[in-house]
Amino acid sequence: MFYHISLEHDILLHPRYFGPNLYDIVKQKLYTEVEGTCTGKYGFVIAVTNIDNIGAGLIQPGQGFVVYPVKYKAIVFRPFKGEVVDAVVTQVNKVGMFAEIGPLSCFISHHSIPADMEHCPNVQPACYKSKDEDVVIAVDDVIRCKIVGTRDQRSTLKYLNTTQG
Amino acid sequence: MSEVHEVALQGVQGAVKARLNRKEGGHGSGSEAEEDNRVEKSGSEEEPEGEDLNSEIEEDDYDEEEDEEDEGPRSKKKKKKHDRFGGFIIDEAEVDDEPEEEDEWEEGVQEIGIVSNEMDELGPTAREIEGRRRGNVLWDSQKEDEIEEYLRRKYADESIAARHFGDGGEDMSDEITQHTLLPSVKDPNLWMIRCRMGEEKNTALLLMRKFIAFQNTETPLQIKSVISPETVKGYIYIEAFKHAHIKQAIEGVSSLRGGYWKQKLVPIKEMTDVLRVVKVQTGLRPKQWVRLKRGIYKDDIAQVDYVDLAQNQVHLKLLPRIDYTRLRGALRNTQSQDNDLKRKKGRRPPAKPFDSQAIREIGGEVTSDGDFLIFEGNRYSRKGFLYKNFTMSAIVADGVKPTLSELEKFEESPEGVDIEVATTKDDAVNHTFSTGDNVEVCSGELINLQGKVISVDGNMVLMMPKHEELTEPLEFQANELQKYFRLGDHVKVLAGRYEGDTGLIVRVEENRIVLFSDLTMHELEVLPRDLQLCTDMATGVDSLGQFQYGDLVQIDTQKVGVIVRLERENFHVLSMEGKVIMCKPQALHKKKENRNNYALDSENNTIQRRDMVNVIDGMHNGRKGEVKHIYRNYVFLYSNQHLEHGGIFVCKTRHIQLAGGNKGADSLALTNTGFMSPRISSPMHPSGGARGGGRGGRGGGGGMGGFRRDRELIGKTIRISKGPFKGNIGIVKDATAQTARVELHTSCKTISVDRGRIDIVGAPARDGSWTSYRTPSHGGAQTPQYSLGNKTPLYEGNRTPHYGGGQTPLQDGGKTPTWDPSATPGRPDDDNYLEDDSFTKSNAPFTPNTMYGSDRSSYSPYDSTPSPTGYNSSSSAYAASASPASGVHSYGSPSPTSYSPRTPGSGSGGSSPYTPSNAGHDVLNNTEWYTTNIEVRVKENHGDSGLAGQIGTITGISGSTCVLFLPMEDRCVNVECEMLVPVRPSQGDQVKVIMGDYREAVGELLTIDQVEGVVKLAGDMDTVPDVQMIHLDFLAKMQRGAPLDG
Repeated sequence: MFYHISLEHDILLHPRYFGPNLYDIVKQKLYTEVEGTCTGKYGFVIAVTNIDNIGAGLIQPGQGFVVYPVKYKAIVFRPFKGEVVDAVVTQVNKVGMFAEIGPLSCFISHHSIPADMEHCPNVQPACYKSKDEDVVIAVDDVIRCKIVGTRDQRSTLKYLNTTQG
Repeated sequence: MSEVHEVALQGVQGAVKARLNRKEGGHGSGSEAEEDNRVEKSGSEEEPEGEDLNSEIEEDDYDEEEDEEDEGPRSKKKKKKHDRFGGFIIDEAEVDDEPEEEDEWEEGVQEIGIVSNEMDELGPTAREIEGRRRGNVLWDSQKEDEIEEYLRRKYADESIAARHFGDGGEDMSDEITQHTLLPSVKDPNLWMIRCRMGEEKNTALLLMRKFIAFQNTETPLQIKSVISPETVKGYIYIEAFKHAHIKQAIEGVSSLRGGYWKQKLVPIKEMTDVLRVVKVQTGLRPKQWVRLKRGIYKDDIAQVDYVDLAQNQVHLKLLPRIDYTRLRGALRNTQSQDNDLKRKKGRRPPAKPFDSQAIREIGGEVTSDGDFLIFEGNRYSRKGFLYKNFTMSAIVADGVKPTLSELEKFEESPEGVDIEVATTKDDAVNHTFSTGDNVEVCSGELINLQGKVISVDGNMVLMMPKHEELTEPLEFQANELQKYFRLGDHVKVLAGRYEGDTGLIVRVEENRIVLFSDLTMHELEVLPRDLQLCTDMATGVDSLGQFQYGDLVQIDTQKVGVIVRLERENFHVLSMEGKVIMCKPQALHKKKENRNNYALDSENNTIQRRDMVNVIDGMHNGRKGEVKHIYRNYVFLYSNQHLEHGGIFVCKTRHIQLAGGNKGADSLALTNTGFMSPRISSPMHPSGGARGGGRGGRGGGGGMGGFRRDRELIGKTIRISKGPFKGNIGIVKDATAQTARVELHTSCKTISVDRGRIDIVGAPARDGSWTSYRTPSHGGAQTPQYSLGNKTPLYEGNRTPHYGGGQTPLQDGGKTPTWDPSATPGRPDDDNYLEDDSFTKSNAPFTPNTMYGSDRSSYSPYDSTPSPTGYNSSSSAYAASASPASGVHSYGSPSPTSYSPRTPGSGSGGSSPYTPSNAGHDVLNNTEWYTTNIEVRVKENHGDSGLAGQIGTITGISGSTCVLFLPMEDRCVNVECEMLVPVRPSQGDQVKVIMGDYREAVGELLTIDQVEGVVKLAGDMDTVPDVQMIHLDFLAKMQRGAPLDG
């Protein structure tokens, strides 16, 4: 699920950047440090939409680095257990398939794939096929799956239920 | 509550209800009904239960008589009776008590008498008549309003309570209503009466019959109820208002004879406890071993076949003790019977399997019933074991351990394992429940109830049920619970082959759970009881003793391998041939690996651990992976796309190619040119290589000379050998003759250490002086992956001129603090950051290089303050253009393009008689400053003398040539870019920023402050501050009349 939420981040800035463009650099750094990261609590930070406030910088004693507490708004993608999402298959093998839900990679065990679908390693490309061959899942297909478990940091696990497109 | 118990109560209640119905039908008084609910005098004449029981008893009696006829002596008759009733009546394993026998008989007689009496008495009972009269009195005597008043009073209480507790919520009122149901002083009392053991239920039934029988007599029993709880042995409870009523009721009941003189009153508070259901914890389980306490089988070992809790019996399997010398059936005579008596006292027959042949020989009759043989009412299995019911009291279950010979006799080796487990369970806590587990009740009344474990105390597990009506924790024995898991749970394996592994459940079946291991990407099948919920990722499985998952190990002198899987006792090792070998830890040696081990790939790039490579040949062709280990010409790669062996596979070095190739031909260059800066030979600067290299080398040498003593140590990884930080490893950041500044690996701390207290660890840096300088300092200060970055030319941009600069007066100034950032450890951070810049959201389309440059110039002390160098004073123009520019570009810029061996920094600093303007423009040559709409001047040395010195406007750029519009000639010409210099703007001009942060921004030059121009920038206020100080070199005069928005 996507959320637009307020977050905070501390930017550690080298003294060499102290100058007229300091705030720009803080912003730049925030983008690089925050966008694309993933935390267990908020999920993936997709994009920083707005920087609300750059707090007063605090010089770190003995180092000269400055810490800026930055408050910003960002769009985050947080997968939940039980959520049904669309995913793109990236890999198919005998234990299941790997798929990507945006930044999130997930695994769909063959136990979670409908029982009538079989792995066909000899077909090119390798795929999962139902017996009557009307449903075929191969790499780059879009599937709809339900998340049954998530792991902190990246990858989630799986549960599929069909639909291609 | 057991069934029998309920029957006992229901028997009485049923009678009451039957009567109630009739009464209500009579005059329909609701209030009366409530009163009568107290098991008053039940007056049902025709009780079906009563009938059945009677007939049963009659039958019993009949049997007894038959026995008597058959066998004369009384003692024998009794024994016989036990045999006959073995299946129906609790077999007390030969307990002899003569008097009871008679009592039972008497009871029977008594009851027959009672029942027959009862049959005669039909019609309304005295009680009924009286009750009806009382009710009528109420209805008759009181007027309507009085009745109304009565009813209102009667039911008003409820509404008051409801009103009162309505707000308090359901819990409150529930509690209150519950409370009102508790017995008070007005209710009948409960007495506890000693009863003969084992006859509690029968006695209760007997009292019921007695009650029924007496209710129509002169002296009906005035007791209210009889209770025989399942768990209470040797006592029954009777409810009555007066003690005398109890006395009256139990008079003549033989099984209650022991309690006739003494009855114990149950305190009101404890009355509820009498009916509390306590789960019987027998702990007896099938297959468990027990010993018998009494009788012919005393001390014999037996195995529990099944447990019948309700009947308080166990079905045991044991070796029979049959006296094969005693003759049976037709062969029997009086003589032998006498012998039997004597023999019985002397010895008991040996325990051995049932032998039907031998029985037939002594005249016994053996019948068969399915798989069982039946002899004298006992069942024997084909294997010769006796299967028989015993009471719980007749067996000992605690601490029974069969001897080996006993076990042998049972010959049940396959079951032996189970048995062992079953017995050990009694002694030690043998379950794996822990707080927070999800559990499910697997036996008993609450079967299938799910819940969460709150606490575990030995074998008792306290759990909070997941049920809306069960809000309080319940306690269970561990063996009544089992764990349950749901799809998607993240679990850890506690025992078995995969102990320590963690994974995600992908399938749940009865007694089998399939999980997908986090670490190895394998599917594991595990028993639910070996699993535990766990939130943390598997860190556990990956180490066993000194070995870790993914370690390189020596299999034998020739072979190495990588541990791809750890199991409890052995490893799976992927050898360098690509085969998986199972090994014991003892058989392996850990392979020491040099951190700087490297090999050459198919294109002679050096590859090191953690490098990303592509496989271009061999069986893994097409894969890519990270180098985990290098051994001779084998590399072990890891790829998360690869499923087998946890993603690890092995390749030959010539089958792989370094990904990205940003290391270029490093290795070759290094080997050829010694400590020449590698960037010189980078493909980006083929031409500049030789010259710059020479210079760099020379400069380096010069620089080194001054700092030799320190430099040797700087950047080395050292271990502190003494003092409070002993054992810590760090990187030397700075060193003097006495002390070294060491940045510790472990804590983010830099400390000074006496040089006598440090030891250098690891191998020295692998090549020239520049590596010794940069590799450890940058690599160590950051995450290792940046070591790749270290080899890019960026760094060399800093180094070379630094050393070389030492020769020039200008560069001497460089030793002022301005210079330090580039040489301090903070540096890598910046570079890292700048590398990132290229993909960040940058509003201005600057390159890292230019941004950096402008950034520098804008606050560099060089620019803002008069330079202390002679250059500055001698020619302000020169200083303004050349020195800052050179400073910026040679030191600050990370971009390879910005640095050229011909940079003015070194060039002009050396002695070359460049004109100031040229020096400045030379800098520009190396950056892409060209943009449209700016005025430029063609250099004087342009081949076409007609064009030289002309001023024009760039209208277009294609490759390295610009389309120049010459207003004086009113024509367009193509001019090589390097032949152009921007026209320096003057105050009030429209300007365009050609370098730096605001490249492409346009504005008006307000004033000129020495070398900087104050520019009022046009455009979006959010992205560009409106007034900005920009170096004049970064500004170009715009074509007049060009639009301000650029």
